[in-house]
Amino acid sequence: MMDDRLDDQLRDAARDYNEPPETPREEMWAAIQAERAGIKEAETTENDLSVLPIRRFRHFRRFTVRPLAWGAGIAALLALGIGLGRLSVHRPRTTPAPVAVAAVAPRVSSTAYHLATTEHLSQSETFLTLFKASVRGQGDERLASATARQLLATNRLLLDSPAASDTRTRLLLQDLELVLAEIAQLSSQPRSRDLQLITEGMEQGGVLSRLRTAVPAGTSATQGAL
Amino acid sequence: MEERELITRVLAGDPSAERALYDAHVDRVFRLVYRMAGDMDKAQDYTQETFIRAFSRLQSFRGDSALSTWLGSIAISVTLNGLRKVRRRNERELDLDAAAPVGHTVREAEPDLKVRLNQAIDDLPDGYRAVFVMHDVEGYTHEEIATSLGVHPGTSKAQLFRARARLREVLADFAKD
Repeated sequence: MMDDRLDDQLRDAARDYNEPPETPREEMWAAIQAERAGIKEAETTENDLSVLPIRRFRHFRRFTVRPLAWGAGIAALLALGIGLGRLSVHRPRTTPAPVAVAAVAPRVSSTAYHLATTEHLSQSETFLTLFKASVRGQGDERLASATARQLLATNRLLLDSPAASDTRTRLLLQDLELVLAEIAQLSSQPRSRDLQLITEGMEQGGVLSRLRTAVPAGTSATQGAL
Repeated sequence: MEERELITRVLAGDPSAERALYDAHVDRVFRLVYRMAGDMDKAQDYTQETFIRAFSRLQSFRGDSALSTWLGSIAISVTLNGLRKVRRRNERELDLDAAAPVGHTVREAEPDLKVRLNQAIDDLPDGYRAVFVMHDVEGYTHEEIATSLGVHPGTSKAQLFRARARLREVLADFAKD
């Protein structure tokens, strides 16, 4: 009786819990449009640089692509050479000013984040490649959900990190989160329809190919093997 | 306009269809997000993020559930992730504040049921709170909640039962009055 009365009171009072004001439609729409325009612009710029290796593999016989590929290779070698040169130059020790210490800290954090992200993307790429092969070969996918859960936890940590500022990586991690969550939710006896939907989702979003593009060559054990 | 047709037009890049989709769903998304976040700035941020993600992933929407449910699942995921991030930041700041404790001896008046209830709902674990807010406050069905949170409807029912039990426990002294 008392519980019923309290339940009624609870229900009534809960209706006022964080009562939403009027939706600021126009303000949010303007922000969404601006953000999406920014993302599109970033993707266009990045695509101009990142499609080169893909084009090279797909149309390696076309002469017109070769100068670009060579150009990219030379640029990469030059950058590597300059980087190595700078690292190997012996500089006299000077006492760093306090401001220099503060300036270095974010770079270290960003480097650590980049390394952790690369490692995670590499593991995810390996996992998804094996998962896809397992689905094709009618293998046992039950173990996959446990691995997907672990990867999902890391994925969420990386997404939540204050260092997650790169739009392209964030979008990839967000799409990866969706795929990993679907695999993590597979029951002990997954239906073939579920598996098909997951692999279709992976293909539609181009998750695996984007992972391969994002992971530097040589980082992944199965890259190109399956 | 049919939902499927609207989605097809959005995917084809029709800006008026994008706006129509936004208009059709923004109130429901914003209400849910605001209920969970309890703050205008956060609610706006999370609602915007929900639609940005939805537009970029619309191609992968399979139509297994209603578009509103799919948007709800993105909204709840964005909101819970966002709130977790804020909580972690606040905890770090609180750790620093704790280094210099200041005696707080002001005795506050006993809050009424509504204030106590709001506090008790805020203190629920994320999963319980999401289910409670979606079901008891916003009127979602267990099927919608289950799809949004990626759990079975039975889990949603069990979590609601536990959330209510916890709230009853915290507010038990009101029942005695």
